Amino acid sequence: MDPQQLPDRIEAWPPGIEPAVPIPGYANTYTHWPAQPLLRRPAGRTERSGPLDLGRKLPCGDDNLAVPGPGRLAMGQLIHIGGRVLDEDGRPVRGAVVELWQANAAGRYRHAADTRDAPLDPDFIGNGRALTDAEGRYGFFTIKPGAYPVPVAETWWRPPHLHFSVLGPASAGRLVTQMYFPGDPLNALDRILMSVPDAAARDRLVARLIPPAEVGPGWLGFAHDLVLRGRSATPALP
Amino acid sequence: MTRLPPTSQHTIGPFFPRGFFRPGDNDLRRIATEAPPSTAGETIRLHGRVLRENGQPCVNAVLEAWQADAAGRFRHPADPDWRLADPDFLGWGRAWTDAAGGFEFITLLPGGYAEGNHHRAPHVNLTIMASGLMRPLATTVFFPDFPEANAADPVLGLVPPEARARLVAMVDSAPDGLAEGSRSFRCELRLRGGAETPFFAE
Ligand SMILES: [Fe+3]
Repeated sequence: MDPQQLPDRIEAWPPGIEPAVPIPGYANTYTHWPAQPLLRRPAGRTERSGPLDLGRKLPCGDDNLAVPGPGRLAMGQLIHIGGRVLDEDGRPVRGAVVELWQANAAGRYRHAADTRDAPLDPDFIGNGRALTDAEGRYGFFTIKPGAYPVPVAETWWRPPHLHFSVLGPASAGRLVTQMYFPGDPLNALDRILMSVPDAAARDRLVARLIPPAEVGPGWLGFAHDLVLRGRSATPALP
Repeated sequence: MTRLPPTSQHTIGPFFPRGFFRPGDNDLRRIATEAPPSTAGETIRLHGRVLRENGQPCVNAVLEAWQADAAGRFRHPADPDWRLADPDFLGWGRAWTDAAGGFEFITLLPGGYAEGNHHRAPHVNLTIMASGLMRPLATTVFFPDFPEANAADPVLGLVPPEARARLVAMVDSAPDGLAEGSRSFRCELRLRGGAETPFFAE
């Protein structure tokens, strides 16, 4: 695509997709988010561009969180999560860096900031990084995380969820999101998931169970696509 | 072609893994951590603090920087001159904030460039992610070396005049470890409250 022909603005977010903030009970959304409105700027080349071969800077291929080494296996329900990274035109985004981090089966993160009294699993670190292929596909072997209570005054339980960060070819399409599991009764009680106003948009944050017969024994399979904002064609790698 | 709705954004939360950071990730001059830094420009340090309401430090925030090379080119097809861009310069880096909210990038002083009828002043784009931020926050830092270009920059021009200086980094003293004579620039990022940093959305 000729960059000179690109519109000077990226289409606004469709209504109902962006979380409504601040979120009652989530104090940091009151103290960290700007009081002033964001200034909407035209999307020039500085916003439409981004590093194309970030896989060299951020080594990828670390896509098995469940098996940290020979003969070792994390505790929990073994799952495979996979899908495609797409742009708003449905075109695959190849060469995107997909980062996954999550709690262990007991709902505890291996992070200094998680001081909850729940067990750590010596065989589970809980983060991985993968590069999308030519069809935009990513995939991770991992375990289903446990739910955990949020350490705030008016506590609530986060449902089992995976954190995703996607670095695509344009800064404006930078995505940080979370993925949920189908059928969990905590989903409808989660302040963060429920901050997304549109029910269909919330449903798109819930992974789809792949019929186990299609996956085979050993792992429960889930499918989850991630759509980056923007419709610029995925640029060719140099 | 059907339009797919973009995936909703969420916060990174408080548990972004430290294991995702390696030494050198905050050095924009290197296309890989092991690669030698590009020398096609002036090496500078860009550092500062991320502060939340009441000037409290914002700890465990993740910052990502993105900028043009020293000649004002992006190695990306959105730039018509992308094939001329410095092949040894990545222009992207990632840092996290310490207990004082502090962050640091090492980079080359970016170049300005013409775009359409405008001239973009040299700048570094910063994306901030933190617990409580339900989407990444974007801002752009400019340099005091270029007062005329800054005054003509179309994005800085969107900022109310009294707030523009908040997006212009200040020169301060370089720490030990930076090459002799290297310059250091400082910029405070106030997420909310008095002298709040202007943030942008596309
Ligand atoms: Fe979490």
